[in-house]
Amino acid sequence: MKKVPIKIKVNGDWRELAVSPGDRLIDILRDQLDLTGTKEGCGEGECGTCTVNLDGKAVLSCLILAAQADGCTILTIEGLQKGSKLHPLQKAFVSEAAVQCGYCTPGMIMAAKPLIENEPEINDSKIRQHLSNNLCRCTGYDQPVKAVLKASRERKENNDV
Amino acid sequence: MSETHIAVGKPLQRIDGIEKVTGSAKYAADIKLENMLHARLLRSPHAHARVKHIDTSAAEELPGVRAVATILEVPKVIEYWFSLRTEEKKKQMFLRDNLVRFIGDPVLALAADDRATADQALSLIKVAYESLPALHDPFEAMAEKNVKIHKRGNVAFKFEKVYGDIQDGFKNADIIVENTYRTSKQKHAALEPFGTCLAHYQSNGKLTVYSSTQLPHWSRHYLAGALELPLNKVRVIKPHTGGSFGGRCGLIHGLEVMCSWLSRETGQAVRMSFSREEDFIATESRHPMTIKMKTGVTKDGILTANEAEVVSDVGGYGTHYIGVLADCLSTGVGLYKIANYSFKGTAVFTNKSLCGALRGYGNPQMNFAQESQMDILAAKLGMDPLELRLKNYREQGEIDPVLNDEIRSNGLKECLEKGAASSCWEKKRRQKPAKGPKKRGIGLAIVLHGTGAGKALPDPAAATVMINADGSVNLVTAAADEGQGNRTVLAQIASETLGIGFEKISVSETDTDTTPLDCGTHGSRQAYGGGLAVQAAANEARQKLLAYAVKELGVNGDQLRIEEGAILEKTHPDNRILISDLMRKTQIEDMSVCEQVIGSAVGVAPAMPGYYGAIFAEVEVDIETGEVNVLQLTSAFDVGRAINPDLVKGQIIGGGVMGIGFALTEGLLVEDGRIMNSSFADYRLLRTCDVPEIVPIIVESHEPTGPYGAKGIGEGCMVNVASAISNAIYHATGVRLTDLSMTPAAILQGLKPG
Repeated sequence: MKKVPIKIKVNGDWRELAVSPGDRLIDILRDQLDLTGTKEGCGEGECGTCTVNLDGKAVLSCLILAAQADGCTILTIEGLQKGSKLHPLQKAFVSEAAVQCGYCTPGMIMAAKPLIENEPEINDSKIRQHLSNNLCRCTGYDQPVKAVLKASRERKENNDV
Repeated sequence: MSETHIAVGKPLQRIDGIEKVTGSAKYAADIKLENMLHARLLRSPHAHARVKHIDTSAAEELPGVRAVATILEVPKVIEYWFSLRTEEKKKQMFLRDNLVRFIGDPVLALAADDRATADQALSLIKVAYESLPALHDPFEAMAEKNVKIHKRGNVAFKFEKVYGDIQDGFKNADIIVENTYRTSKQKHAALEPFGTCLAHYQSNGKLTVYSSTQLPHWSRHYLAGALELPLNKVRVIKPHTGGSFGGRCGLIHGLEVMCSWLSRETGQAVRMSFSREEDFIATESRHPMTIKMKTGVTKDGILTANEAEVVSDVGGYGTHYIGVLADCLSTGVGLYKIANYSFKGTAVFTNKSLCGALRGYGNPQMNFAQESQMDILAAKLGMDPLELRLKNYREQGEIDPVLNDEIRSNGLKECLEKGAASSCWEKKRRQKPAKGPKKRGIGLAIVLHGTGAGKALPDPAAATVMINADGSVNLVTAAADEGQGNRTVLAQIASETLGIGFEKISVSETDTDTTPLDCGTHGSRQAYGGGLAVQAAANEARQKLLAYAVKELGVNGDQLRIEEGAILEKTHPDNRILISDLMRKTQIEDMSVCEQVIGSAVGVAPAMPGYYGAIFAEVEVDIETGEVNVLQLTSAFDVGRAINPDLVKGQIIGGGVMGIGFALTEGLLVEDGRIMNSSFADYRLLRTCDVPEIVPIIVESHEPTGPYGAKGIGEGCMVNVASAISNAIYHATGVRLTDLSMTPAAILQGLKPG
């Protein structure tokens, strides 16, 4: 099948790629760009494990065609840390024991990022509403929700990232 | 107990946390090999059929298709590792025939250059089936004489066991209740779908398989058996795993063996990944059970007899059907001191998707029956359900009749007391019913679950501890971490035993080529069985380390202690040597020695200690809609000793949520053998907004046979959730539900007058 040229900015770098019309965003991230931190849990938009940020918004990379992302800015879990400095969400997920198997973790963190950046007043209930598309089978959600709350506070205190 | 622990009992951060939050942790589907092929399975559209003919010619002519393997050539693994014990039993583990036994049963696999070509090739395969009558109900299958799902018939396994005199027991009872309970076909629903594997058979005759298995070493045995290879020519590497919950307790039906076969055919690496739908329809689930239970009690609340008849629906293939049924007995008899107990269990093949191990292993089903019976009896006696438990549970010092071993630790009473206080049990039991449609209630249920399987199955553990020239440590173990954090716990045990800081311990990859035989991760065993091996290995290394220090410092070993990377004389702390200096000297500097300190241990745990728990569930039931809202779950568990309290809490909370799912929303719906809810849209897992507050309470009874007093936690914490919720629904509404899931429709039905 004829390939389509696209240009996307991924984790800070513009990339020119040739994609098949049927390729989903997750396919090119994982297969062409080797960004395997983004996971596929269902391929149907029901589990949230493939969540990435597209132009600053949390999106499901299994429901977006690669060609639709042409010209867009994509952030994946691999692009979150700055050098060796972890993002407050990454730090909090480790310190709050919010990671077990870790398969839902990248999606959960990428879903939480726009929330803590855009929502001035964050609380348990808002986090739960916002993360309701992200399934987790290990933790029971308590520790991940606490981690997001902690990261949001840290971000506010340091006024960074 | 010493209070100066450096690692045990501390909520240390897990060793793989950073990898997992940065996206660098590799799971099976993230690994790529050069010239890797992609394989797909063709699955049966029939619940029961004979494959008469397979025409693969058109598919094989398609450019890019490299190999095809059918069930006529490639065996299935249909038993678990108990069968590895004898050559004769081992032969029965592998089945090769032309029958398909459930909708989704693999018929063939093919490997192609890419997935799209593989998919296209599948559409070109022609299979001629002879449809056979399908048996969907275990009772129907048991009675059926002409249609046999397997050669030996439809009864997969059957056993009976009687303790005491059951008739006498019922004669002495003042109250007898009898009910039939039915449980659902729960799915593991791990976020990483079951069924991702990468197999590479190389020209040197060695097969390497990347598999998310919980049992790397037994999986090596299975693959070697199925492919007729020597064990040392099969290497199983377990990368990070996205949750297992028992469903990867061996090989995945149709996955690793097929991939390996195709790789041997082509000489190329072969990857296969199941979709979520394939995970739902064609990988193992929890055995649905029908449990008839009759229980007798005196008017003083002393249990006199219990009779259980269990029918377990195995589905099309077995694996864990024996163990699951046997655990129904052991968890029932072990929990209460009922002198007269009779158990009849039958595991039956049906033409439904296969069942296997799922967190709890028969116990959630049995516990639902047993703990419902207890609640019914308490109501009939007019007794607090908590008091009825306290009167009858099997205490520390008693003999567990199934294991025929002493109960050396049992913190159940403390679990009940702390859980009752925290959940305001007494107050909430007495609260008056609210006006309006929303009725509140609180219920409780207790549990016993065994740690490991040393009394029932081969359950080896092993570890090696190597101290390096800079004082850092390599811990070598095959312990498979599915996400629960057992590799972190084992590093804590090594750190504590050696007296060397946790941050200096590095844990090996899980690779059968470089790690000694370990049973794997099942039966809540790693902190206990794996922990004992690590403790023994670390202890041996510590003794060797001290022996070198004795020579260096000129004092006896008992005069020495290890502290912050140094060995020093207790009474003269200035007489000291850094471990790094000592190890560099013995390994490199002193050329007459050149010896690394290595401690090793192999063996099996001496017991299968039970761990105990009490769960208090508070619910609100809307009697107009039948909807149940779980308001709070208080889960108090005796884990012996919490090596890492954060990880223990993670198990209790996560297990609690899985238990609520089992109680209210989860279960595969099967119609004529077809699974109707094979997606996350239709199979309802709880989401962030659905879960109540779960209050974890850790009780530490100190198990004397365990490492630092530890025993298990992983499974038990989900087992008695549904039982507690059901008892709470009864307290709120007076409706006794006997079938799982407990749906709004069932509650409304129960509320109907008459």
